[in-house]
Amino acid sequence: MRELFARFGRSERSAGNQILTTGGRYALVAIVGLLALLGPVAAILEPFWLFVLVQILVFALLALSLDFVFGYAGLLSFGHAAMFGAGGYAAAILVAEVTPNALVVLPLAMLTGVVVAAVIGWFSVRARGIYFAMLTLAFAQMFYVIAFADVPAMVAGAESVTGGDNGIYGVALYELFGIVDFSDRINYYFMALALVTLSLVALVRLANSPFGRALQGIRENEERMAFVGYDVQRYKVVGFAISGGFAGLAGGLYVPFQSLAHPQLLHWTVSGELVVMLLLGGMGTLWGPMLGATAVILMEEMLAGVAAWEIILGGVFVVVVIFAPRGLAGVVVSLKNDPRNALKNAKDALLTYVRKVRGER
Amino acid sequence: MVDVTTVLRATLLGLQLGMTLALVAAGLTLIFGMLDVINFAHGALYMLGAYFGVVVVSELGSFWAALVIAPLLVAAVGAAIEILSLRPLYGRNPLYHILLTFGLAIMIEGIVVEVWGGQSYRIPAPDALSGTLSLGSLSYPVYWMFVLAVSTALIGAIWLVISQSDVGILIRASAHDTEMVDALGVDVSKVFTGVVVFGAALAGVAGVLLGASRSVNPGMGFGVIIQAFVIVVIGGLGSFKGAVYGALLIGLMTAYGALIAPSLTDLFIFALMAVVLIVKPSGLFGATEAA
Repeated sequence: MRELFARFGRSERSAGNQILTTGGRYALVAIVGLLALLGPVAAILEPFWLFVLVQILVFALLALSLDFVFGYAGLLSFGHAAMFGAGGYAAAILVAEVTPNALVVLPLAMLTGVVVAAVIGWFSVRARGIYFAMLTLAFAQMFYVIAFADVPAMVAGAESVTGGDNGIYGVALYELFGIVDFSDRINYYFMALALVTLSLVALVRLANSPFGRALQGIRENEERMAFVGYDVQRYKVVGFAISGGFAGLAGGLYVPFQSLAHPQLLHWTVSGELVVMLLLGGMGTLWGPMLGATAVILMEEMLAGVAAWEIILGGVFVVVVIFAPRGLAGVVVSLKNDPRNALKNAKDALLTYVRKVRGER
Repeated sequence: MVDVTTVLRATLLGLQLGMTLALVAAGLTLIFGMLDVINFAHGALYMLGAYFGVVVVSELGSFWAALVIAPLLVAAVGAAIEILSLRPLYGRNPLYHILLTFGLAIMIEGIVVEVWGGQSYRIPAPDALSGTLSLGSLSYPVYWMFVLAVSTALIGAIWLVISQSDVGILIRASAHDTEMVDALGVDVSKVFTGVVVFGAALAGVAGVLLGASRSVNPGMGFGVIIQAFVIVVIGGLGSFKGAVYGALLIGLMTAYGALIAPSLTDLFIFALMAVVLIVKPSGLFGATEAA
């Protein structure tokens, strides 16, 4: 079993620096440009799609934050919902009690994510692999129960802090010193797009910095990094806290847009769905998980009308994991590098599958 | 406020809940111990057991038939899952099994909603087991006593098989060192299929048993899986003994928690899990060291 977990996250994949190549930069600019055009078009034609686009951006950011710890540091967090929800609740409370100024609330939501992640991380990094995952899950579920049962209100003797199982509803939208009014949804969309793009750029830089290299080193061989003199635990906690900050930011973006902070944000199924987005997209590439988040949200929204949408959604996960283990990113890269053999590769994958089902090696 | 009768009743309830959860957790832990697969679909199998139970009772009119047939049907589903989806993935990063079984769980839930709708059902308990038992001031439903007895007997039997029989030796050996068992000439892939089928059947039994005392609904799979995880983690991943003790612990904590602070029970349970993991990462009875 030890070897199994030693393989955690190890693979031949490059360090997500596809984005740092010239082609990658062009692709990034093109996609952001396309999204900048898509928003206004959606707002005019079908406002529902603007709503979906914001949701995609939020979850892309969340998946990105998870990929930073999981894809790079090899820490499988099964509790990212805690930071997401904490950021969201912080935003809801701040907007209602202090100010709806985005420049005040969003950094504080981010900070909340950092603090929560630092606490969870500090306790959890001593365990490895699946045990780390289970610890983060336990802590995240504790946050869920705390929000659901409104423990802060019990402790403080207040009437309501988290709103219990109803959550905090009617959260107002952001503003910016009276200059920009984000209650116009298209402005909110542009803010989300800008923040997600900035986050992506920041995390790509960070992942390729000496700090990011050290995290990758820890993923590949923790003992060796410790022998060389790195304070492995501290690197892991700091990496986890940074990731938590971006998850908190995602929560801060999500809650006012939904005008609802609900305990469901903290539920373990959110963390589970996030891991699914990551694996579906292709972890360790930073852009892959964002693609995965987009695919999952689009599938959920488009299939919601179809009676059997859960069957299709689950089926897609199953097919991807069996036939495309490196996720959508793997499919994209293989199509780009080797477009001619696409059919043959698909056939090979199918034959391998049949062989393995029959029990041959 | 809390008198002896209430505590006694909570203890019985806790034991009953614990033993039925042990049926689910035992399968989960055996599958993990041998295949290194964290089976997210295990809760869905438990749910299928309950739904199959509903169907069999309405078709054949017999609870006893349901208690036998439904777990067999679930076992067949387990076999299909193992052969068609788990088997091609052995040897890969265990994470893929999480994604795979997560997908399977969502699929099964979707199928259940598609076939039976979103409403909840109930398996009618057999007439022979209706009524309540009275012991002094304590009155307790006969059916719940029956559930406690059946699940305890099953768990005891499995314990005996695992610790005493040849099959048990094979199971423990495969869990300990799969490659060595393979090298000794045992067809490990059959053992793997067998374990998944057996685990699925146990989950199916638990589904039928609890389907007659709780409601049968599409959310029950995801509800039970997280409890089973907590149990397995506290007891030690891969340890059967750990799963049983863990299940009893969680069952009693839930029952007593309902008396003291119902809304905070889960908080205590997850806090306990966190403490166990921090102090002894491999769980109370786990054999493998985590770090």
